[in-house]
Amino acid sequence: MRYEIKYKPAFSTIFVTLGAGESITAEAGAMVSMDGALTMKTSWFGGFFSAILKSWFGGESLFANTFINQTNQPRTLVLTQALVGDIEALALEGRTFGFEPGTYIAHVGNVKLGVRWAGFKSWFSGEGLFKLQATGDGIVFFGGYGGISKRRVSGEFVVDTGHLLAYESTLKINLGLAGGLLGSVTSGEGFVMKLVGRGDVYMQSRSIDGLVKFLRPKL
Amino acid sequence: MEIQLLQQPDSAIAKVILEPNEEIVAEAGSMIAMSPHITTSTTLRQGKGGGLLGGLKRLLGGESLFLSVFRSPRKSGEIYLAPDLMGDLVVYEMQGKELIVQSTAYVASASTVDVDLGFLGFKKAILSGESLFWLTISGQGPVLLSSFGAIYSVPVNGEYIVDTGHIVAFERSLDFDIGKPPGSNWLTTFLGGEGFVCRFKGRGTVYCQTHNPGAFGRLVGSQLPPK
Repeated sequence: MRYEIKYKPAFSTIFVTLGAGESITAEAGAMVSMDGALTMKTSWFGGFFSAILKSWFGGESLFANTFINQTNQPRTLVLTQALVGDIEALALEGRTFGFEPGTYIAHVGNVKLGVRWAGFKSWFSGEGLFKLQATGDGIVFFGGYGGISKRRVSGEFVVDTGHLLAYESTLKINLGLAGGLLGSVTSGEGFVMKLVGRGDVYMQSRSIDGLVKFLRPKL
Repeated sequence: MEIQLLQQPDSAIAKVILEPNEEIVAEAGSMIAMSPHITTSTTLRQGKGGGLLGGLKRLLGGESLFLSVFRSPRKSGEIYLAPDLMGDLVVYEMQGKELIVQSTAYVASASTVDVDLGFLGFKKAILSGESLFWLTISGQGPVLLSSFGAIYSVPVNGEYIVDTGHIVAFERSLDFDIGKPPGSNWLTTFLGGEGFVCRFKGRGTVYCQTHNPGAFGRLVGSQLPPK
């Protein structure tokens, strides 16, 4: 499989070329256009039970589509996200990553997708009770609103709740206040994620919550 | 007439240079700037796709009732045009063949180009969902189209599938049919929220937009209070 992410960062879109016998799986609705000779199979996203959990509590779609090239020529496929913003291709290389609701777009290769109990802390911060988790040695494509920044954490790092996209599972996440109780409310920073340990974290430069807050009083 | 596209792809704007006595017809509200001697008039457009009925049809198609006509008398002039949403622009040169355009993608065209509201038939209209109306464009001269996201063109030779929310325009030489995505059944189509797709057959070019304004609108709109 070959891929190129074009129109970065505002309109990032994945242009995929599948060789004979190759396949890629994407969330429902991610397909923009494709060669008519590709075969598409719709299935529950990671199994029936897992799909229900992911959809109801994890903010992901109920179905995933697998695109298979059953011909003997290379075939093209274009995938995107509903948001305008950056898309990152993350090579797992045996690591496990957790993804915030709505960030997953597609995956290729040996990737196992599951749901993990994220806890009431996560739900309390508006991030969902369950989280999508991916492990294996394939590639996961995920996206955000705005640009995507990567940071290697070693020790402790603080990320605003609305800007976290994905993080390595070696990081432990605690919900905290940005300052003291009064400081958090008055500074407008509210709740933050405290990441502890060693691993990579991906953040988005804008948040949909921020856009909604800006638009709401103007309607 | 010469059209240059600037600031592509995220905030595209078109710089149009009009020769003496040339006219460009544009969607009302798309003019950003122009030379002072360019004359502006509003039209319901005469001829094919024109008149009051044509205007009402455009209104139904999500377009404004009126079109603006910009004319550069005596000497040449320049005019800048851009759509409302952030996104890309593309210029398509009409050479006698027909082009089908998703109605909200239309920005402007030379006055030698005919713009008519086409009806694709009941099934195709219902299933295309995102935009019930399509414009049939014919004649000679340039047409300016806009998109949400970047625009890429696909030279179809055989069979090609595009999600209906991502179609900007396509050449009429292509056969097309709108339906559910291949390999899915009606249950997964409805429950999964996967849109309908357009299956193109034959030879011709399809212009696609990388992002779907409806999908982005629903994502943000669902979090806003109702009016």
